[in-house]
Amino acid sequence: MSYVIKRLLSMTFTLILISIITFVITNILPGDVAIMIMGTQSNPEALANLRESLGLNDTLFVQYGNWVLGILQGDLGTSLLFKMPIGPLLLQKITSSALIVALSMSVALLLAIPLGVWAAVHKNRWQDNFSSSVSIIGVSLPDFFWGIMLILIFARALGWFPSSGFVHPNEDIFLAIKHAFLPSLALGLGLMAHLTRMTRATMTGILSQEFIRVARAKGLKEKVVVWQYGLSSAIGPVITVAGLQTGYLFGSIIVMESLFNYTGMGWLTYQALLNRDIPLIQATVFSIAAAVMLINLLIDLLYPILDPRVRLS
Amino acid sequence: MEKKLVNTCIALATSLLVSTTTASYASDCPVTGGTLVWGHSETTQNLYVHQTGTISTLRILQNIHDGLVTTDQNLNIIPELAKNYSLSDDGLTYTFELRNDVLFHDGSKMTAADVKYSFETIMNPDTGAVNKPVFNSVDAIETPDDYTVIIRMNEINAPFLGRLAALGAGAIIPEGSANIQGEAPIGAGPLKFVRREFGNEVELERFDEYWNGPSCIDRLIAREVTEPTVRLTGLRTGEMHLINDIPTDRVEEIKADDNLKVLSWSHGVFDFVNLSYGFEPFKDERVRLAIDYLIDKEMLLQGALWGQGKTAASPGFATSTSYNNELKQRPQDIEKAKALLAEAGYGPGELKVVFKATTNYPYHVEAAQILVEWFRMAGIELTIEQLTWADWLSQVWVDKDFQMSMMNFNSIWEEDFLYYSLFNSTGGFNYRGINDPTIDELTEKARVTIDKAERAEIYKEVQQRVFDKVHDIVLWHRNSSFGAQKNIGGLDTLVNADGATYHFDRVWIE
Repeated sequence: MSYVIKRLLSMTFTLILISIITFVITNILPGDVAIMIMGTQSNPEALANLRESLGLNDTLFVQYGNWVLGILQGDLGTSLLFKMPIGPLLLQKITSSALIVALSMSVALLLAIPLGVWAAVHKNRWQDNFSSSVSIIGVSLPDFFWGIMLILIFARALGWFPSSGFVHPNEDIFLAIKHAFLPSLALGLGLMAHLTRMTRATMTGILSQEFIRVARAKGLKEKVVVWQYGLSSAIGPVITVAGLQTGYLFGSIIVMESLFNYTGMGWLTYQALLNRDIPLIQATVFSIAAAVMLINLLIDLLYPILDPRVRLS
Repeated sequence: MEKKLVNTCIALATSLLVSTTTASYASDCPVTGGTLVWGHSETTQNLYVHQTGTISTLRILQNIHDGLVTTDQNLNIIPELAKNYSLSDDGLTYTFELRNDVLFHDGSKMTAADVKYSFETIMNPDTGAVNKPVFNSVDAIETPDDYTVIIRMNEINAPFLGRLAALGAGAIIPEGSANIQGEAPIGAGPLKFVRREFGNEVELERFDEYWNGPSCIDRLIAREVTEPTVRLTGLRTGEMHLINDIPTDRVEEIKADDNLKVLSWSHGVFDFVNLSYGFEPFKDERVRLAIDYLIDKEMLLQGALWGQGKTAASPGFATSTSYNNELKQRPQDIEKAKALLAEAGYGPGELKVVFKATTNYPYHVEAAQILVEWFRMAGIELTIEQLTWADWLSQVWVDKDFQMSMMNFNSIWEEDFLYYSLFNSTGGFNYRGINDPTIDELTEKARVTIDKAERAEIYKEVQQRVFDKVHDIVLWHRNSSFGAQKNIGGLDTLVNADGATYHFDRVWIE
């Protein structure tokens, strides 16, 4: 328990640091949200009025202080550009993106683990070469390539899935999955390649160890040896890597979201940055960082359950 | 093609005028019903019409709101929610007689009180209205009865009606509705707001009690798809009925597709090259002239925009009566440019210029790259600096920190807004630092010249002067475009006279 508290404390500290860094960096960038709102319709007088009404003329200390005060009261503020409360906006976009992250992670794990194990069992045989080729193609080709191919095949030629857009899971979960499927698959394929190689590597290591030989010597069925003895020891590192990759997913989701016009967290973050909408930048960066850290904490907590040799301290 | 489009538009505008007295003209819908899915190239922002300056959001809002006055396709001011209007002889009092059959989407009837409320909300500095300057010379708004509005000015302001008809300034909202407009706009237009799924789509539906006859379509879904290739895919898969802003290099491809059609028009957006007066060499007229002679506008149009536009020497609206048709662009003449530069004291290699182009318009960067070679031939070393939109706005637009740049403007058809803002020494859009007493005098004079023809002449002189003195180098009027499925009808009614906003109520699905 004290481990969890320790981790949460260090997370809080990191998040405070992140919020300060984001705040400073976004303020150093040239341009501000007032200019972006008015664009080429702006004139000095209107711009000055707008800056004043948006509170951009306050000192950075005051602006940051106000933001922290809001956060402590559970108020994420209002988007300056879109004139909407950030809380509900963020919640909506996080759930849409979480759907993609979860789906693509499932796709990746469901494909990678069997493929990796298969390769490890048939080390240096054609099965291994096949699995290596598949993962090398997966690693070398960028996500957006898969995205475009999937659109061409499944949206344009076959018409099974929509090529763009999204439906919120709360409205219709079936339609939501239908819209999220292609972007998830595209992201999942790249991820799958990493995880296959990881599974193969740890699995070949495990399979050459003493206890596996003992298990075989006892006369256990090969299936049991590989999937129960072998995989349960190999799964730990694979899951850890998958956890770390979640951060990567939140990064590459921006590209995928724009390719499929799936307007989730990636899109929101991009819009916020593009328009210098500081409260929105703070909120998106903050919540993505928090999500990544929480997922990693969760995986660390899962570790001892998957592999009893591991103790957290 | 363009001419044909304009002609149809004129014909249509005339028919609109005639039919304004009848309650409904649903008969011009060959087919009624259906949901139209439009792939919109931009993300909508604040939906409060009076706080929103961006064209992208106005494109939606102009279907929700009607204004007191509007324009026909030749940019003449015509009444809309007003039945008629008059101006007193001293030019200081506008009297509007309102239609008495106008309902808002909430079912309430529009009266003079709503007009007074709408305009006074704009004038209130706390609103932060983009169009506040339009009302700068308004002294008082009076409502002697429910259907009469009198606007008293404290000085003659000839552009007032025109400004009211532009960019949603004259949109009438129900009394007391200002604080809900941002999220759920209410107006008296043909389509009413249903919902917005933020960053994804906006849904509007037919307003059955619309004073000018209900729309052909039941529903409009405006899907916000900023990535052009995604829009094209959506059009090809049939997920979208129509999309705006086809990338210029893909227009021909869509035209060649048997299942699709293209609507394009060239009024609305102009591009120009800017020379900063803050940069010493450009204060010399001969240098500016030399730069103009270095540019082959037609070739630049082909190279940077795939020919999707029409070269022009004036930034004005070609459909407007004040457009100066006599101006002809200078042809490319590198020898002449060299001679002019030498005369100004800049031998080969002696002039170095930095061109700030924004990546927000990738073709600006491409145009700059083409210029480099021509400039090199005249011994000018041109370096390109690429800026994000935010950087460009703050460096070039606000801080005026640049030597050479390029920009485009759209939908500024109202002459005072266009010429005064861009070229008057105190104009809001004068980021080049132009300070020409002749132009100042002309633009001021136009403001107090009520006679329309006389004003048009003044603005023609302004265009001439800008051209003669090479205050800017106007390149072309860029094409805008719509791609649509073959079964979409009424496309000729789609684009408003400003060339940048659309109305969907006369479009139908076969």
